[in-house]
Amino acid sequence: MDVKSAVDTTFSGANAVRISRLINVLALFALLGVLAGSLHLQFGIGEQPCPLCLIQRSGMIGLAVGPVMNLMWGIRASHYALSILAAMVGAAGSIRQILLHIEPGDPGYGPAIWGLHLYTWALITFVIAIIGCAVMLLWDAPFQEKDQGIRYAKSWFRVVALTAIFWAFAYLVIIGISVIPECGLGMCPDDPSNIAGVGDFGGWLAVLSVGVLALAFALAVVVNQKLSDIGEPADVEY
Amino acid sequence: MVSMFVLWFIVFIGVFLRKGWVIPLTLVTLVWTLLLLRLHMTDPLPLNF
Repeated sequence: MDVKSAVDTTFSGANAVRISRLINVLALFALLGVLAGSLHLQFGIGEQPCPLCLIQRSGMIGLAVGPVMNLMWGIRASHYALSILAAMVGAAGSIRQILLHIEPGDPGYGPAIWGLHLYTWALITFVIAIIGCAVMLLWDAPFQEKDQGIRYAKSWFRVVALTAIFWAFAYLVIIGISVIPECGLGMCPDDPSNIAGVGDFGGWLAVLSVGVLALAFALAVVVNQKLSDIGEPADVEY
Repeated sequence: MVSMFVLWFIVFIGVFLRKGWVIPLTLVTLVWTLLLLRLHMTDPLPLNF
């Protein structure tokens, strides 16, 4: 087999779907890492999110909808399109906030991480996401398969993917609920007063490690078992 | 602003239940997010072109 045939075989058919799913799961985990960082600042340090920060979080959650749909419904171009649109909306919020603090000498809003503020990191995330989705759209092979999502995927992969999906859902719920004491049901104050955080270490433990991830994993195992009990049709290759 | 996240919550439930209205509702949520962004654009940008 020559190199071209080997590449064609590796990146086509059922393999293309498997690789696409893996990329989608990794992208989802990367996105959850960014959201975990912002939640760490909120609950660990006590830095309350500003309205523009919430707009960017909304963009991040919208960005996650594409990979979640790709994993649950199957790989589709329309799902990548949703992620691109969400990234553009989120980027609009980031660019607005960057421009508000563009003047020399302006200390920026909130703490800086590795020299860049969170809204700058958010813009970098959105730009990478748009490029990533465009690259995935260049690859036709996964769309030619009639992928039905991870419902019939291998059990271990299904647990990993479901964990990421439930983790994203849990973060959405946490973010949504945490907005109410800060803003009520209306608009948020431009410069919200900070609260006492639970500390660096405690913040990570509470938000990332013990609570949310363990809950998402437990739920993923239960759902995975239910799907295993249902079984799978004989003609599914991946 | 909590409305944005309520809409995302409904979108996720729709994804879990494989509902056909998920994509339209996602688009509505994105437009709603943009509208909220516009409502918050009250301060002038410090740009002197």
